[in-house]
Amino acid sequence: MNNKIKVVVDKDLEDLIPVFLKNRQKEVQALKAAAAAADFEQLRQLGHRMKGVGNSYGFAQVSEFGRQIEEGARSGDRAALDACIASYSEYLSRVEVSNE
Amino acid sequence: MSDLTRPLRTTPAQAAFRVLVVDDDPDMAMLLARLLANEGMAVDTVHDGDAALVHAMSSTPDLILLDVMLPGMSGFDICARLKADEATALIPIVLVTALEDTQSRVRGIEAGADDFLSKPVKPEELIARVKTLRRLHETRRELEARRLAAEVQRKEAIRKAFSRYISPRLAERIISDLGDDGLPFQSHAQRIKVVALFADLRGFTRLTETVEVDKVVGMLNEYFAVITEAAYRHDGTIFSLAGDSMLVGFNVPFPQPDAAVRAWRTAQDMIASFAPVLANWTRRGGVATGVGIGIASGEAIIGNVGSPHHMSYTIIGDAVNTAARLMQMAKGGELLVSGPVYGQIRELVPGGRAVARGNVALRGKSEAIPVFSMELGGPVPAAALGG
Repeated sequence: MNNKIKVVVDKDLEDLIPVFLKNRQKEVQALKAAAAAADFEQLRQLGHRMKGVGNSYGFAQVSEFGRQIEEGARSGDRAALDACIASYSEYLSRVEVSNE
Repeated sequence: MSDLTRPLRTTPAQAAFRVLVVDDDPDMAMLLARLLANEGMAVDTVHDGDAALVHAMSSTPDLILLDVMLPGMSGFDICARLKADEATALIPIVLVTALEDTQSRVRGIEAGADDFLSKPVKPEELIARVKTLRRLHETRRELEARRLAAEVQRKEAIRKAFSRYISPRLAERIISDLGDDGLPFQSHAQRIKVVALFADLRGFTRLTETVEVDKVVGMLNEYFAVITEAAYRHDGTIFSLAGDSMLVGFNVPFPQPDAAVRAWRTAQDMIASFAPVLANWTRRGGVATGVGIGIASGEAIIGNVGSPHHMSYTIIGDAVNTAARLMQMAKGGELLVSGPVYGQIRELVPGGRAVARGNVALRGKSEAIPVFSMELGGPVPAAALGG
């Protein structure tokens, strides 16, 4: 599953994407730390923020992961959260910006 | 994600529309700032509630894009605070909330938010909303500017009208005391205690028979110019000019606890400032005259009297009549004051200067009143003076 995932980004925002993606990597670390500490409130907040910011930049999948994390945190479903964070991490390693 | 509390200016601020973006998520703040900057707006971003409030109050942006969930003060609190402050109440605020969050919208409306934007943000929606608010804001600002200009114009008209009757300083005070639609003077008459000063050119009527007609008006203007200035210097209000006499009121339209002293100083000032004019007249043509002054105090009725076509700010009462009679008795360079007025200026009159005339029966008055006389003018050819 090493296929790249292409995301089309508005040309005006192109130069913001490297910082955006770097911040998503940091976000994964924060999510993992919060999950390890079973800090559901922190997970909920992080998920909520992902939901807002992802789509705004054109990364619909980031918003979708955010929705799942927010939901998992609300129900306290550790396994679902861990799986989701892993998927998010994997997604980030494959995502690639396309100018199309 | 370094220093997030420091405002970050994205575009140079010319005379551009200035937007403050408040979002604790730096990615979101950066995105919003970029989208607005692309539309030629000048954007500042801050990342927490407290910094947002400080920035909004100190730099009063043209629009604020405000996230609700913030460290420090919440977006609702900031919104409510800014809307409660007169200086910032008119800044349009767009609250940025999650799409499905109806509760937040209700709270936002209660806090006075002008519009809402959903996260995730759709660029077209953001720009459309901001542009609409910008138009509204600019229209409102233009209306406000026009209203202010009209207000300035109205005050200027009042200033012009009243500066013919009262000193510029008093006019200024009336203007600054003026409410939004208040009239400078009460339209209904009032009864108040006043000090009235009458001044005229003794012997001038007789003089007009010998001086060329053209010169008379010029001379009157010279005379009125100096005594008007003197009246204004002591904040007297000029009520009437008739022939060569002038009526000045004190303690009106504003209270002057030292009204009698002001009247006394005005009298001295009038005679002293007229002296050079008189000297000039005398040099040019042997004209001999002088200012005679009467001062009295008492209750008077003040009001705007006349018809819709011609109004006059008028003072009617015993004090005015007494002052007029005293003036008629005064010689050129002489001041006659009633007993009560003398009582209030006694301390200021140099020793030996005042002469008690005893009780004097004034024309048209049933009882004789105490009168004091003071010679204020220099030597004036006696032959031409009197009546």
